[in-house]
Amino acid sequence: MTTAPRPARRIPFGVLLRVETRKLLDTRTGLVMTGLLVAAAFALVAGRALTTGPADLRVLAGTAALAPGTLLPVLGILTITGEWSHRTALTTFTLEPRRGRVLAAKLLPVLAASVAACLLGLLVAVPATALSAAVLGVEAGWRLEPGPLLGWIATALLSAASGQALGLLLLNGPAAIVIYLLNPMVWALVRGLGEPGRAVAGWLDLNTATNALMAADLDGGGIARLATAVAAWIAVPMALGVLRVLRKDVW
Amino acid sequence: MIEFHGVTKTYHGVKALDDVSFTVGEGTVTGFLGPNGAGKSTAMRVLAGLARPTSGAATVLGRPYAELECPALAVGTLLDAGAQHPGRTGREVLTLGAMLLGLPRSRVGEVLELVGLSGKEAGRAVGGYSLGMRQRLGIGHALLGRPRALILDEPANGLDPQGIHWMRELLRGLAASGCAVLLSSHLLHEVEQVADHLVLIGAGRVLARGTLAELGRGRTLEQTFLELTSGADRSRA
Repeated sequence: MTTAPRPARRIPFGVLLRVETRKLLDTRTGLVMTGLLVAAAFALVAGRALTTGPADLRVLAGTAALAPGTLLPVLGILTITGEWSHRTALTTFTLEPRRGRVLAAKLLPVLAASVAACLLGLLVAVPATALSAAVLGVEAGWRLEPGPLLGWIATALLSAASGQALGLLLLNGPAAIVIYLLNPMVWALVRGLGEPGRAVAGWLDLNTATNALMAADLDGGGIARLATAVAAWIAVPMALGVLRVLRKDVW
Repeated sequence: MIEFHGVTKTYHGVKALDDVSFTVGEGTVTGFLGPNGAGKSTAMRVLAGLARPTSGAATVLGRPYAELECPALAVGTLLDAGAQHPGRTGREVLTLGAMLLGLPRSRVGEVLELVGLSGKEAGRAVGGYSLGMRQRLGIGHALLGRPRALILDEPANGLDPQGIHWMRELLRGLAASGCAVLLSSHLLHEVEQVADHLVLIGAGRVLARGTLAELGRGRTLEQTFLELTSGADRSRA
């Protein structure tokens, strides 16, 4: 042996996090998606502030966060499934064979980004609200209640997590994205079936179940319905997906 | 340095690897030779901890790859040069590796120079690379951590004659400095020129192993190869 063995140490989790965050942005797809997301966020909030209003901080923040809220989960799906469609999992898992750590490092940045998008939405909504009030000649609404605010952020977080859970379960980007984006439409149809449809949606549709969370109006039944929907769309698919990735031979 | 101990891998009742045992010593280049579908890639994935053996064990530096603390610092792997995100630049691929391994960014430039990719080429997305350029990038990635063992699956595929010559010199140099190199190929002549040891595999079984001279035994290596693999011609491809 020509070189003394180095004292190799496990890759620190912070480094895995940094690398997986970087991988969200260092490809053309990632850059285009992020660009679209930021552009759409500004366009939507500016458009709404200057035309229909209302000049309300809470509403405009929601508008600013609409595009990130939709596209971040898609980015989250792609960062997971891309490892299989481009077969970069070969490299990723030879660099860090402890696959659970890699998955955690992939999930966390997107979840953090979905919270950050809400906070940035709020920040952008401040000048937009002032501008909207001035342009439309109405009084600006600055009221923010902590309950609905937290509920809104939690909903964004759950939404991103459900996208990632689908991505992990299916390991197929197009399929996961289609299911994720069509989900609200399918549930709108189900709710259109009348009382039984609305009852089913209340328990199993994540969007319906998070309405009470968004309104900060969760009673016992609301919590049970939310927990059921979270189990169906996040906990169970994510657990199955993680198990699958941990056990699967990488080819 | 690299050891297979009775590795068997069964997929849906078919034995992709059947009781495979051999070792690659430090300072040697071992050619892993066999027809397409013989089990070379399966064996290398088992070795790199990406596929679980049904029975037996493969170790590098005395331990299963996946149990090494930071395996890529000790063992360089190139399992499929085509397995790259097409939208990522070559330099970025190496930068991500250097970050994970805790290496200075200057190592990226060193490796690019070592594998003969220009700064301009490194700045392009891998999707536009030829297979030969991807092989160079992949070999560079494997060498990032100055490993003491190398696992290379078909690294000469797509290389032009200059590229093959370059790789031969590179691997010989690495072996001379004590590195254990396992490289697979389905092309006999490629392996003959760079390897000092050979492991012949067919239908998942080791058919023969030894030095080039031992396996030749007066005949050409090609005769030996064809003779041995004719009985095990079970291509899964």
